[in-house]
Amino acid sequence: MNSSQLIAFLPVICIAAAAVVVMLTIAVRRHFTLTCLMAGLGLLVSLLALAMAGRQGPVQVTPLIRVDAYGRFVMALLLAAGLAVIAFCYDYFKNREGENEELLFLILAALLGASVLVTSCHFATFFIGLETLSVSLFVLVGYVLGQSGSLEAAVKYLVLSGVSSAFLLMGMALIYAQCGQLNFSGIEQYLASQELFNGMVLTGIVFIVAGVGFKLSLVPFHLWTPDVYEGAPAPVTAFIATVSKGAVFILLLRFFLSSGGYFYGPALTVFSVMAVASILVGNVLALLQNNVKRMLAYSSIAHMGYLLIAFIAGGRIAPNLVVESVTFYLVAYFMTTLGAFGVVSILSTPQAEAVALSFYHGLFWRRPGLAAIFTFMLLSLAGIPLTAGFIGKFYIFAAGADGRLWGLLLMLIIGSGLGLYYYLRLIVVMSMSQETGIDAGHEAAFGRVSSVILAVLTVLLVWFGIYPGYLMSLIQGLY
Amino acid sequence: MNIEATLVSDLLPLIVYFGAVLAVTGVMLGGAYFLGQRHSAKAANEPFESGIVPAGDVHIRFSIQFYLLAIFFVIFDMESVFLFAWSVALRESGWPGFIEALIFIGVLLAALIYLWSIGALDWRTRRQRIDAQKSGRRE
Repeated sequence: MNSSQLIAFLPVICIAAAAVVVMLTIAVRRHFTLTCLMAGLGLLVSLLALAMAGRQGPVQVTPLIRVDAYGRFVMALLLAAGLAVIAFCYDYFKNREGENEELLFLILAALLGASVLVTSCHFATFFIGLETLSVSLFVLVGYVLGQSGSLEAAVKYLVLSGVSSAFLLMGMALIYAQCGQLNFSGIEQYLASQELFNGMVLTGIVFIVAGVGFKLSLVPFHLWTPDVYEGAPAPVTAFIATVSKGAVFILLLRFFLSSGGYFYGPALTVFSVMAVASILVGNVLALLQNNVKRMLAYSSIAHMGYLLIAFIAGGRIAPNLVVESVTFYLVAYFMTTLGAFGVVSILSTPQAEAVALSFYHGLFWRRPGLAAIFTFMLLSLAGIPLTAGFIGKFYIFAAGADGRLWGLLLMLIIGSGLGLYYYLRLIVVMSMSQETGIDAGHEAAFGRVSSVILAVLTVLLVWFGIYPGYLMSLIQGLY
Repeated sequence: MNIEATLVSDLLPLIVYFGAVLAVTGVMLGGAYFLGQRHSAKAANEPFESGIVPAGDVHIRFSIQFYLLAIFFVIFDMESVFLFAWSVALRESGWPGFIEALIFIGVLLAALIYLWSIGALDWRTRRQRIDAQKSGRRE
């Protein structure tokens, strides 16, 4: 490994080192604030290392990992999301009795897995990254021991994730059996040299799609999502919804772009069916929810469906346009989802989560600032102009129109229309006058750190919604 | 040739094989069931028809620490297997390999220190630990 490779890989090394340091800190002294500071510091150092490596071109670090500008950008996005989640965790867990410090170690380990995932160009790193991410998530989901909902969610996630990993491995094995290559570019070379359409590779790709579809909670594989989102502590839910899904989606895109998966039309048909089903099922079931976390879970299923439209368009339009639209949408999705779950997490404590719709009755009168932030996040999720969510949706629409995917675009419009109802319903509930009899007694204490993060997220959301040029120019040069 | 046709002709031996497996297992199990004799004497269902009669319950309660320690053993054992692979290729991997192995061992050591300091290696129950602390304070 020469020095340029070392510099390129330094951010990942920094996260790993931070995880070990956090573990040793816990061993020496159990102190939640100290541990949070150490973890946050580790992430900042890693971001600094990313900025340092930012001037390099694409670097191949060992055959397994390829660090390019795109990977760096997404890694920075993931680390920033990790920082926000740590801030939410601090306010959420600081008053809880018991051992909360390991939470930070697990978040760092999950971020390590996600960072490996977004820079991988080989099936080995694909799998290792995914498993590092998932195994940390099992424990994070069930972290609040002694609550049956949380434990149930953790066990469900463990079992289903194990099954999906098995699918993924089977798919990799099938592709390897045919191509003799584990490298994404090696697979592309093999496929380009074959004239015939290959049944084994197609089966492998469909298996991989099933495995990845589970992690992205696309519709036939979505059944775990509402239960796990509801059972997990609110900051962890934010983490699953953003870091886990974002990293896996980027990996899927990279796999298809660099291994020639787009040659396989039937795979894209599978994706189209999944996208339509995700948009419809996600939005329709979100209409029926009275539980805010479940509603956001279903809405995240629908959003993954929207994102798939830009991904499917990749079969017909230039790769850089696909990357641009997917990345912009992901940035907007990260900000809004973190913001929405951040509001839920500020209002919650580990004992009593603010999930019932009735809890949000008259929030505008009780906590005007928080309710305003939540309103912005919901409007962005719905794709109302002047928020980043609108520009993201516009990008998806442009990519879909470029790829002439009219059917899918129709679904996007129908889905957005359905989505308006349940997002706006929450806003209406928040603005109703406060009725007497609703107990505001078990409300959580004021979380100062999370509030700062939420304010920053809101400012960014509106800034990128009104003046998206800066972010666009940043993303355009990536691929 | 058509691809689906190839797939089907490739699959035929597999289907035949699958059927053969089912048939053989069926004959073996079914033959024993139909041809074998049945008798129900008093001691026929006991594990051994001669020797010592088994006594007691098989569901013994182990201390929870036992499982914890067993898991630690399995994990550290698995990790040390990687070191065997490295030691076989010690000369080929050279200094970079040595440094990587050192990092690996370092992380393992950090994990061990962590486990030790949070008391995961302590076999006593929480109650016993509190009692021990009290008696230590008295001394």
